[in-house]
Amino acid sequence: MIWEVFRQEQAGEYHTHCGNVHAPDREMAKQFAAVQHGRRKPTNSLWVVPRDEVGEITGDDVAFGGTTDKSYRWATTYRTTGADASEVVESESEQADAEQGRGDD
Amino acid sequence: MDLETVKDRAGPRAFSPADDLPQEYREAATRMIEFHANSEIMGAYLERPFIRQAPSIDRKLAFSAKVQDEIGHGQLLYRAAESLGVKSREQMLADLANGDGKFLNCFHYPMESWVETPMIAFFVDGAAMRRQATLRRTSWEPYAHAMDKVCFEEGFHVKHGEDILQELMTGSRKERQLTQEAFEKWWPRIIQFFGPTDDDSTHHDFAASVGLKQKSNDELRNAFLDQYIPKARNYGLEIPDEPRIRERDDGTYEVEEGDLDWDEFFAIAKNEYEPGRDQIGGRRAAQEAVQWVRETIDETIARGHAPRAAD
Repeated sequence: MIWEVFRQEQAGEYHTHCGNVHAPDREMAKQFAAVQHGRRKPTNSLWVVPRDEVGEITGDDVAFGGTTDKSYRWATTYRTTGADASEVVESESEQADAEQGRGDD
Repeated sequence: MDLETVKDRAGPRAFSPADDLPQEYREAATRMIEFHANSEIMGAYLERPFIRQAPSIDRKLAFSAKVQDEIGHGQLLYRAAESLGVKSREQMLADLANGDGKFLNCFHYPMESWVETPMIAFFVDGAAMRRQATLRRTSWEPYAHAMDKVCFEEGFHVKHGEDILQELMTGSRKERQLTQEAFEKWWPRIIQFFGPTDDDSTHHDFAASVGLKQKSNDELRNAFLDQYIPKARNYGLEIPDEPRIRERDDGTYEVEEGDLDWDEFFAIAKNEYEPGRDQIGGRRAAQEAVQWVRETIDETIARGHAPRAAD
């Protein structure tokens, strides 16, 4: 049985997928995950999830973000003047990164 | 975990559903996050009519995107609140409908005209973002994670709201005058967004001591005034004479609390302000009107058909 493994590096951070292990049950999966994924990289917590229990949807199944031009929903579209609050600047820069990652113009 | 241990360990994202937490913490966190979730929903309902009233197709698209986002934030936050095990999402939505659920003061006031939209979409959202940015460091991890996504999206709302303000304040003399009037009407409410001064805040001390709240009402109000008074002036808005606001030598602001209507504020806080009751009733009617949609979804799933999301 295959178990997908998610590692959280520090308390409060997100568990992110880091690989999988072969194990007959949940307890063994946890032990194998600790050995294979928890030893070298910083690890606060690991989740193991049976692969069959993971639902997946991909870009082939659905158009993530839609099929039309949605530039109106990004901060980067609006040209305002004067210094912005730091959290607005941060949000806009995260949006600009996401825009690049999605490959939008 | 007892309360003393919680206070010792209280730090950013310190506690998760895996922790055994005392009832006092769970209840305080539920109250805070439920209030936040309710506010997202009530804000969305306040702005919804302006999808129809938007003056151009671009504004219409942006407004509908924003309203959609706010409803999504409400859903994220109900999940974060629900994960405390005190109240279910259904209970919170039912309480909001029956008038027991509390939400932000600004969303109890009706919004009648397009010139009022930047008062919410720029100033109130800007104020909310000041606060939400600090809550990325709250001690309830699911709340902090919800704030990551909310803050990511919210930059668009503030910039779009500011863009509307800029357009109005570079428009005709009548547009500028009506916008100034709307600003004067909303300004005291926006100052009250952050609640009463620290001395009069009931819940602050406990919420701060367990790491739920990161900044006090006064600190947040200061941070808001510091950023948004120059913004307002930049677009040619005049700051109203009342409430009197004095800048101290250290750059912080002192708001003359007596100039604000606290009777109205506390009536709102108890859901006893009449226009606010209309807002609550309007949302309840909308919830009831789409009951058939929820039932259809349940029936469809029961018949074994997979639901599909819209674009």
